Amino acid sequence: MKTVEKIVNPVKRAGEQSPGKIYSDKLKVRARREWRGVKDTLYDYTRWLYLMSVLGRFIMVPRNVKGFFRYRWMMSYLFVPHGMDKFTIGLRDEALRIAHTSFNFVIADVTAAIGKCFRGDRRVGNDVEFSERCVITDENSMVTFMMGFDKDKTPTILREVPTMFASNIFHQFNVMHYLDVAQQYGIPGDVCPMPEAEAGISIEDDFCVLGACAVQNNTTCDGSLMGNGIIAKRLEREYGIPTYQLATPLRHKEPDVLEYAAEEIKKAIAFVEEHTGGKWDWDLYFQAAKRVNYATRCRIAQMEINSSPYPQFFGAAFSLYNDTNYMGNSGRDPEFIKIDKKLLELAEQGYKAKRMYAKEYRHRCIVWGVQPQYVIDMLYWLVQCWGVVPLTDMLSVINTDMIAEEDTPENREQAYRDMAMLNMEMIMRNHTHGGYKVLLDDLWELCEKMNADIVMMWEHMSCKALTGMHGMFEEQARERGIHIMWVSHDLCDPRVFTRQAIRDQVNNYMRTVMREEPLDPSLEIIPDNEAY
Amino acid sequence: MKKFLLGILLKVLLAGLGLFVVTFTVYMFNLDMKLMTLIAPLLEKWYDHQEHKQYI
Repeated sequence: MKTVEKIVNPVKRAGEQSPGKIYSDKLKVRARREWRGVKDTLYDYTRWLYLMSVLGRFIMVPRNVKGFFRYRWMMSYLFVPHGMDKFTIGLRDEALRIAHTSFNFVIADVTAAIGKCFRGDRRVGNDVEFSERCVITDENSMVTFMMGFDKDKTPTILREVPTMFASNIFHQFNVMHYLDVAQQYGIPGDVCPMPEAEAGISIEDDFCVLGACAVQNNTTCDGSLMGNGIIAKRLEREYGIPTYQLATPLRHKEPDVLEYAAEEIKKAIAFVEEHTGGKWDWDLYFQAAKRVNYATRCRIAQMEINSSPYPQFFGAAFSLYNDTNYMGNSGRDPEFIKIDKKLLELAEQGYKAKRMYAKEYRHRCIVWGVQPQYVIDMLYWLVQCWGVVPLTDMLSVINTDMIAEEDTPENREQAYRDMAMLNMEMIMRNHTHGGYKVLLDDLWELCEKMNADIVMMWEHMSCKALTGMHGMFEEQARERGIHIMWVSHDLCDPRVFTRQAIRDQVNNYMRTVMREEPLDPSLEIIPDNEAY
Repeated sequence: MKKFLLGILLKVLLAGLGLFVVTFTVYMFNLDMKLMTLIAPLLEKWYDHQEHKQYI
């Protein structure tokens, strides 16, 4: 089997050595915050103050208070600092700053999205003029088709992100109610809980109602299509919000689908223009295209650093930041450029100083499959407890090609193909659809490039897209001498797999197959199954 | 005048220190999140009592 060189951190970590001690079986949150030494504790404290200020400013707006008491999912946002604590376990120095810089920005972005939802919502703010300019999209929509619209005059709202996806990061039980609602109406329990919860929210009438129109995407699975159908029906028939189905080819590696996909983008743009009165502006598009390319270059640079012996930016914060930037932003907001730049500077600084996340790196790991690592602090736990470095995850392995960024007549036609390509190769779909090459071959190439000896395969119990490939993964990993560690879960339904049940699969693999002892025994069993 | 300004400065510093001690204690002992765990069950009851027009 393949092995990698073990690296021992010559520097002792500042502050406490066993963060497992801060968990409590009597509480639904941690007993206290981690002591990280004076410098890093004070830094973490100032970021906590910043988060408190973001939440405080949000709740000062009267319509947001009204929305808070109207929507059940808003309860999750009481636990934003708790969510942040999950992504900083054991972190010091640059790693701590990287996690805060990226994830704090995501939190601010989600808070702004909730503010917009409540402003236009017919039940809360009811700002009709604002609502009539908004386009709502689903959680997994890539918003490339909005790159040429003014983001303030024609706002895009990914309505399901604050409602379901982000709220679940802070409170692991919050979608259970919506899953129950969906199942009461006959939707089977073996559907992916993410679109099922979204369908449940729609059935329960717990989505904000706003927008001149909506655009849905056939992403990323059968469950997503099912959920979109239920949501679109209510949007169109009850609330009179016209909904466009952006049908994107799934065999995205086949060149003959590109023209069709580009036509779909053109139609989506025409649909938005018709319903919002907004006008497509090529200057805005090419400015956004430049920013998309900058973000791509930064992501490639981060992956290069992660291919070295001293990876810097990984884990759930890496994945969530990419998700927000690549898919939810798509170059429209210049603020992301500053964050990209800062993150790269921090990562380069950490790389030069040979900073490590844990006291020892024993294995280099690629995280593949449909991942629940937002809900639990799994990837940071993996490196702290077992010294297994999660170099990157499937959702962060996205487009690396540059798109046309100069405004010429030829590039205007190319732009539609570029938007279509980005849309087809968006997060998750680029690996879960498109054949075994994107799911298997890409993985082995990545293992080679990043010098990984372990693949942690998330096995999502309700994901039909990946379960059929189990045997092929096993067979091909064996041929290549790569350890493959299967970790089952049910995404955002903790009743099927609890946090400890998920971690125990890694514990068992590391003890029985790898014959290793944990780096930090205080983390092997954590009493956080009942924690938010 | 100098004494007066020094007095104000001292008061500002003491207030700042007091604020730091209070907020840092809240932060370090996770009192903010512990308080939220008391509020959350009450909120759940509130949400449970709301009428919703369920529709599929």
